[in-house]
Amino acid sequence: MTKPDRRVVIGGVAALGAVVVAGIGYEASHLIGKHYPPTPYDDLLALLPDREAAKAVGTAFLKDHPDFTAKAAAAVLRKHIGKQKLDAVLQREIASGALTEAGHWVVPQTLAGLCALAAKT
Amino acid sequence: MNFIDARQVPSGTKLTPDLVIVGGGPAGISLALALANTKAKILLLESGGMEFDAATQALYAGQETGVKYYALDATRLRYLGGCTNHWGGWCRPLDEDDFEKRDWLPHSGWPFPRAEIEPYFPRAQSLIEAGPFLYDELAKGPMPQPLLSLGQGGLYNSFFQFSVWRGNPTHLPTHFGERYATDLKRIPNLQVMLHANVTGIRLAHDPRWVDHLDVTTLSGKRFTVAPRHVVLAAGALETARLLLASNDVATAGIGNGNDLVGRFYADHAIPRDTATMAVFGGDIAGVYKDTQDIRGAHCRATLSATQDFKRARHLLGALVTVEQHVPLDALGAAAVTTTSAALGVDGSNARAYSLGCGIELAPDPERRLTLTGERDALGMPRLKLNITISDDDFARYRTSLLELGRQLLASKTGMLRLDRKTRAEWLSVMDWGNHHMGTTRMHRDPKQGVVDANSQVHGIANLFVAGSAVFPTYGSSNPTLNLVALVLRLADHLKGIFR
Repeated sequence: MTKPDRRVVIGGVAALGAVVVAGIGYEASHLIGKHYPPTPYDDLLALLPDREAAKAVGTAFLKDHPDFTAKAAAAVLRKHIGKQKLDAVLQREIASGALTEAGHWVVPQTLAGLCALAAKT
Repeated sequence: MNFIDARQVPSGTKLTPDLVIVGGGPAGISLALALANTKAKILLLESGGMEFDAATQALYAGQETGVKYYALDATRLRYLGGCTNHWGGWCRPLDEDDFEKRDWLPHSGWPFPRAEIEPYFPRAQSLIEAGPFLYDELAKGPMPQPLLSLGQGGLYNSFFQFSVWRGNPTHLPTHFGERYATDLKRIPNLQVMLHANVTGIRLAHDPRWVDHLDVTTLSGKRFTVAPRHVVLAAGALETARLLLASNDVATAGIGNGNDLVGRFYADHAIPRDTATMAVFGGDIAGVYKDTQDIRGAHCRATLSATQDFKRARHLLGALVTVEQHVPLDALGAAAVTTTSAALGVDGSNARAYSLGCGIELAPDPERRLTLTGERDALGMPRLKLNITISDDDFARYRTSLLELGRQLLASKTGMLRLDRKTRAEWLSVMDWGNHHMGTTRMHRDPKQGVVDANSQVHGIANLFVAGSAVFPTYGSSNPTLNLVALVLRLADHLKGIFR
């Protein structure tokens, strides 16, 4: 029986450890991270990395826009964003001054719409 | 020793200098210094002494109506040095567009472009002791910390410089009275008379000439000064008061044939906490938050509207100052998290600041001074100030703030919360700069201005006004540097007369 190379053993243990830690992290995020029930707007809401923060912004926006309807807004947003990256859409809006206010914070209109969708779900 | 006390002058005396300067504030003192060693015999009359005196200060008391404003005896100081005895030392030249006639802005337009006073800025800068004349050039050189990245847009990193009283270890701004007293005493053709209150400007039989001034002291002395020429340098409030109250011949007051004296009063509105700026990357450069010494200038960074932006959007001067760090509330934190992530930048270290402002008001003839029936201890009618600020003034400034918000997003630097929207919200944080301007406005046409392009009162050949009282529009820069430059230009004009 050949004696295993010490460096190989140490490397193997380290790799295994990394896999375990990663696995625990993945499971933990599934256990700890908030789950949301499916909505008809998940394709749009997926653009928002922090749904809770977006909800807060959206709630503030909706106070000044009580007529906002999710279904109609989603249709407009899908058409407006299309397959573009959100950052590119927002930069174009910012450049053209297509801005609005959410709780007095100045934000691009599309971002406000996405946040309002989050608040409605 | 050319400082004399008017209380020692026998009643009934008649003095006959070539020129009388009424008022020993920054305008009057700058004029006296500029006319040193000319052939003209000059007498500078100052109501106060070398220090604050309550009885003298009480001569300033009056009434205020309209928007909340400072009491008229609290917004200025009546002793040698005038308002420089309590100023903050903020200096900045007016923009070129501040002098332009703008078709969309009634009553706008100086009789000359900024180039007319530019040659006088270096000497004015020196008198004010604000260091090398750099201002916005500072942004082009090395900075201790990087300035905010704003990209292309309507606002830019601008700079104020500060008056620093030479040799004063506490960085106080220059108090003109104390600072220049020794220099004034050395001027052979000048006498400075303290405790001398002008209580009347008396016209000659030919009402196109001032014949003499009535001078009174609080101790009861009365005498006259009959000069060849008079310069009123008593500030925008008191100069108008003197002209209006001198109504024995010209019944509406001197220079007031077209009902303009006292109208168009202006100040810079400086409401507090007008917006909150969140900076994604964290702390901003210290030069926004406090003064720093850079390239020999004691300076502070601000944000100002560009001339192109003002012209294109029909806006007036808009100044943004960074005040103090403020915590983000839950909504603010959510807005930063959401927006920074959507823009692809890290906002986890974001830091927020409250913003202050300087608003240029549109000229308004109803923002005005009138005389009341009340009289002061010398028998002079007291003033009433009606102060106004329009919804358009607030709306224009808010447009500039919105543009700042847009630029912060475009450059991925941060974001802005507009904290004031309704008139009630603006008024709830209202404050004023104590920058008195406009009551004897300058215009070539006597129907539109009290003084002409040389600061001579229309129709009165030997009467001039020095100071920010002559500003027809106001910009968002503090007035002192600009009024001193304008005074130095007047000095050159007077030198031509005395030659």
